[in-house]
Amino acid sequence: MTGRARVRARGITRSPSATAAGCLQASPTPVSADLSDNEASSNNGFEETSRISQQCKDVVPSGNAECTLMKRGGKIFPDVMDLGVCTREKLAHVRDSKRGSSGIPVKLVTNLFSLDLPQDWKLYQYHVTYMPDLESRSMRIALLYSQKELSNKAKAFDGVILFLSEKLEERVTELSSETRRGETVKMTITLTGELPASSPVCIQVFSIIFKKILKKLSMYQIGRNFYKPSEPVEIPQHKLSLWPGFAISVSYFESKLLFSANVSYKVLRNETVLEFMTALCYQTGMSNFTQMCEKQLVGLIVLTRYNNRTYRVDDIDWSVKPTHSFQRRDGTEITYVDYYKQQYDITLSDLHQPMLVSLLKSKRNDVEARMVHLIPELCFLTGLTSQATSDFQLMKAVAEETRLSPQGRQQRLARLADDIQRNKDARFELETWGLHFGSQMSLTGRVVPSEKILMQDRICQPVSAADWSKDIRSCKLLSAQSLNKWLIICSSRAENVIENFLSCLRRVGSSMGFNVDYPKIIKVQESTAAFFGAIQKHVDPDVQLVMCILPSAQQNYYESIKKYLSSDCPVPSQCVLVRTLSKQGMMMSIATKIAMQMTCKLGGELWAVEIPLKSLMVVGIDVCKDAFNKGMVVVGFVASINLRITRWFSRCILQRTTTEVADCLKVFMIGALNKWYEYNQGLPARIIVYRDGVGNGQLQTLLEYEVPQLLSSVAEASSNTSSKLSVIVVRKRCMPRFFMEQNRTLQNPPLGTVVDSEATRPEWYDFYLVSQAACRGTVNPTHYNVIYDDNGLKPDHMQRLTFKLCHLYYNWPGLVSIPAPCQYAHKLTFLVAQSIHKEPSLQLANSLFYL
Amino acid sequence: MPNRKATRNAYYFFVQEKIPELRRRGLPVARVADAIPHCSADWALLSQDEKEKYADMARAWRAAQGKESGPSEKQKPVCTPLRKPGMLVPKQNVSPPDMSSLSLKNDQALLGGIFYFLNIFSHGELPPHCEQRFLPCEIGCVKYSLQDGIIADFHSFISPGEIPRGFRFHCQAASDSSHKIPISNFESGCDQATVLQNLYRFIHPNPGKWPPIYCKSDDRARVNWCLKHMEKGSAMKEIRQNLELLTVEDLVVGIYQQKFLKEPSKTWVRSLLDVAMWDYSSNTRCKWHEENDILFCALAVCKKIAYCISNSLATLFGIQLTETHVPLQDYEASNRVTPKMVILDAGRYQKLRFESSGFSHFNYSNQEPRSNTPTGDYPSGVKISGPNSSVRGRGITRLLERISGSSSSVPRFSSCDTALSPSLSPKGGYKSFSPLS
Repeated sequence: MTGRARVRARGITRSPSATAAGCLQASPTPVSADLSDNEASSNNGFEETSRISQQCKDVVPSGNAECTLMKRGGKIFPDVMDLGVCTREKLAHVRDSKRGSSGIPVKLVTNLFSLDLPQDWKLYQYHVTYMPDLESRSMRIALLYSQKELSNKAKAFDGVILFLSEKLEERVTELSSETRRGETVKMTITLTGELPASSPVCIQVFSIIFKKILKKLSMYQIGRNFYKPSEPVEIPQHKLSLWPGFAISVSYFESKLLFSANVSYKVLRNETVLEFMTALCYQTGMSNFTQMCEKQLVGLIVLTRYNNRTYRVDDIDWSVKPTHSFQRRDGTEITYVDYYKQQYDITLSDLHQPMLVSLLKSKRNDVEARMVHLIPELCFLTGLTSQATSDFQLMKAVAEETRLSPQGRQQRLARLADDIQRNKDARFELETWGLHFGSQMSLTGRVVPSEKILMQDRICQPVSAADWSKDIRSCKLLSAQSLNKWLIICSSRAENVIENFLSCLRRVGSSMGFNVDYPKIIKVQESTAAFFGAIQKHVDPDVQLVMCILPSAQQNYYESIKKYLSSDCPVPSQCVLVRTLSKQGMMMSIATKIAMQMTCKLGGELWAVEIPLKSLMVVGIDVCKDAFNKGMVVVGFVASINLRITRWFSRCILQRTTTEVADCLKVFMIGALNKWYEYNQGLPARIIVYRDGVGNGQLQTLLEYEVPQLLSSVAEASSNTSSKLSVIVVRKRCMPRFFMEQNRTLQNPPLGTVVDSEATRPEWYDFYLVSQAACRGTVNPTHYNVIYDDNGLKPDHMQRLTFKLCHLYYNWPGLVSIPAPCQYAHKLTFLVAQSIHKEPSLQLANSLFYL
Repeated sequence: MPNRKATRNAYYFFVQEKIPELRRRGLPVARVADAIPHCSADWALLSQDEKEKYADMARAWRAAQGKESGPSEKQKPVCTPLRKPGMLVPKQNVSPPDMSSLSLKNDQALLGGIFYFLNIFSHGELPPHCEQRFLPCEIGCVKYSLQDGIIADFHSFISPGEIPRGFRFHCQAASDSSHKIPISNFESGCDQATVLQNLYRFIHPNPGKWPPIYCKSDDRARVNWCLKHMEKGSAMKEIRQNLELLTVEDLVVGIYQQKFLKEPSKTWVRSLLDVAMWDYSSNTRCKWHEENDILFCALAVCKKIAYCISNSLATLFGIQLTETHVPLQDYEASNRVTPKMVILDAGRYQKLRFESSGFSHFNYSNQEPRSNTPTGDYPSGVKISGPNSSVRGRGITRLLERISGSSSSVPRFSSCDTALSPSLSPKGGYKSFSPLS
């Protein structure tokens, strides 16, 4: 059972947004409403620049004449801010070249397209004022656009700031125009800046341009991505339809401006809320219909196709009917029926339906949120219900459509490029701005050599680095403590499977070199209280491990057991579902997996890889929001404490903060260095920190706030020669995708592919590494950005070390997508954030108790 | 150094808390003074309740200052909530403790002192711009003394009233993630005025001074708001003036200080109050939450505070823990531990206890010499748990026997008081529930 599968089984993802009994920012978790990529992840993808464009839309003229886009950019455009953080120039050893050389070159196709600009291309920024002042943004725009002087120029205007690709003759241009009411309005257009194409503001303007272009290709923006409702993929047997679409961004890569596009899908249900209500009414009967309706519908995300917007159903108003009237913004009253007729030419069929209520997000906190009434007949359900996500057949059908192979993905990309180049309007838009949409970019990556896995008695070269469980089946683990005194707590239902499981466990254990004695078996009733009581009663300081055979995947069991056994009474614990143990055919592999986990929890080491650097400490840091109390952030810190990099020191803290920046790194680092000193009688010569969980726009903060914490703790630890420190920001979500061309088809690049040119950024010391296997769909490369580096390792060595570290995650006998310390830190913070909600006991810090 | 520092007000503490965030934003703030200009806007956005938290901190600081300022002021009864004369139940006929007297005498006053722990659950918290911030749905209150443990408890569901339009999802989600009380059509909910009336009769059955009420500091704003909201519909506004809501954390600090004349660390106090070990103890949650096996219960929160204080503090005073202090009965269950198989039947014990201690709402024992005899009938929801004298002490004796008999079967309890125990070995004859005992 993988971590994710286990979480799903436990029903965490299914619970309707486990919100704290507190804050309102309860982000709805539409279960996989947005399958943004091949990984059918339930998180909403961060697709970078499309966010910018959305925010551009939200820029409303504030009437403050001083305010320029750049100024606001400080808050609004976080990812552009990250691009302004030039870390590479401070790192002397990579100033000239950050490219490695080892490995076999491989030719890769990317999802990046070049955008060509003339040499002297410039963007002209103007400020527009109106006399008399106009409040309405649309009025401002309409008046400006009606001017002849501007009519055939490429322009972008948000009501205050006007961007032109050509300079106006005068620095200050005065225009006048007449409104429909006959008022004369004077407009003053003042030049405020000439921006070169490399300016971050230009990137925003390019995004706006592409937003326009995609609109012309009849794509609609939903959230951050663009979808094409006219070509839906239907899955009739499950009443679903998928809208194909793209996440796009425009950005400066190593040498030139590139446009990148990723395939994305929107999952919609072919069912309106009204149909859903009617079906429910037949099913349940009238008596408790309203109750059931509220229970089932409240919290769902609906899409209204007349404007392609999504809303969350916050409430149902049974007292309002479509024939009732509401007040429009201009003060006139109109009934809902008439409104939809006038505005969208839609005739409502059912005039007695109740109304759905949705709260719109207020832009500022202190302003009361606005509420909108929605007509159930016009609302389509989106996303998948919890019922649907647990339906294997349905998920398979969805995955088949959404997980595109590299070949399929390439076809979609080629078609988009074709559309942009062929569509007359789109081409016109590009041409007036002076842009040229170029060809798809290909580049050369390198495949670094595969790694050998060191076991106790032999060195094995795995057949596939993606999974070496078969290769190490008969090998002895590096070290394993024997398990003498342990407990199994189970319900009577598990009675018959236990004997078989135990004998399997003992058998696989002995071949691994992990000695398992007979446990004390405690049978209890099937209730959380009984399990909990049994643990309290029977766990004493001599017990090495508690195994709980849980009768169901209820969160209650897991949470209470983990909470008690990791903080109140620190003993390693292993929870297994009865259902898992009932799979007879897979018993051996299940037992192997569990035996390995138990070994780790007791402080054992499973395998190692050859790491030539001596006296190296690697550290992983991750942060995660607490599931129960949204104001809390869990910071996890995992550091290696031996030379072989097989033993780990893990700490975790809950901090009250709004941003995901760690406060307590100094304490953690000093703790880890002390531990290292204890084991190795000295301090590590090198420390390499992998930092995961960095949000957009936090790079500068990281440099100014976290790196100094680490540096000062390292400096304090020793008086003479302090350890050298490197900090690397790890990102799993990034725009570029790489495909390898082979036998005239495209495939995923091989494991260990490194890309450190062209798709990287000039101002960073960064590279991409493919360290995970995707059996279906397209692989996501991981992006590494070295933001601080005292060690001065050659780029080659840094890349290879990172690849080696991806082999060391003991919960999976194969490569993982991020370095092991990061994955451990992630696992730890996830456990604390989901189940424990408090700091685990320090007594467990030396073992991987959270696996 | 008198008067070197100006007095610290609520704003000072707010700014102090904000400093790390400002630093993260890259502002050069070394001291509170530097940060003051950056915080005024945020301060203005705080609601009165939120500000109250900082005002409390300022008050606590001032109180601490006052204490340190000179030995002559040491006996001032403002230092901790404990020293307030109102702490004692008026009918007890013991004069307010004289703090300058011997420690033993203090102890006795402290031991007999009665505290009320109160908690009110809400269906989430609505954003600041709403008039209604909380929707009270469950109330739990416990009458406790160090000497006698839990003397009585009060529990009731509250009908939350109409959910503000548009917040159904928000309330539902908040409820689902914690106490899971249905937001509508829940039969057990009583109307707010009645609940409040019953609560007041529970806390304050006779005219006289009001005892102080305690709740956890995190819950204070909510409980306060809910009490205020609930009395809007009832005619008890003048009573409200007398009700004083203090934090349990301060109470623990107070007890500790009084006993050992030094201040415990904040972390220690927090870890003392936040233990999972009693989560599933029998007779802790209300009936509804027990039946549905949901951890979050207002009554359980209050009872667990009592257990934690009993377990960590009462033992330091040399009090024998009884079933009213901690749910002992869960830990004295069968001792038939065969090496290979143990059969534990939790249900059987629950049934037994059910019969022995009685579950009726009006069960009341007069064997409690110190407790007040009720003048009238008790309001619904109140439960007085007076254990029979035959039951009392049985648990601890058996426990002690077992401890001396076989050390391996000592129930391993919370380790949170390890910080405390080394310096304070329990007095001979009494054992605390700690792994070190």
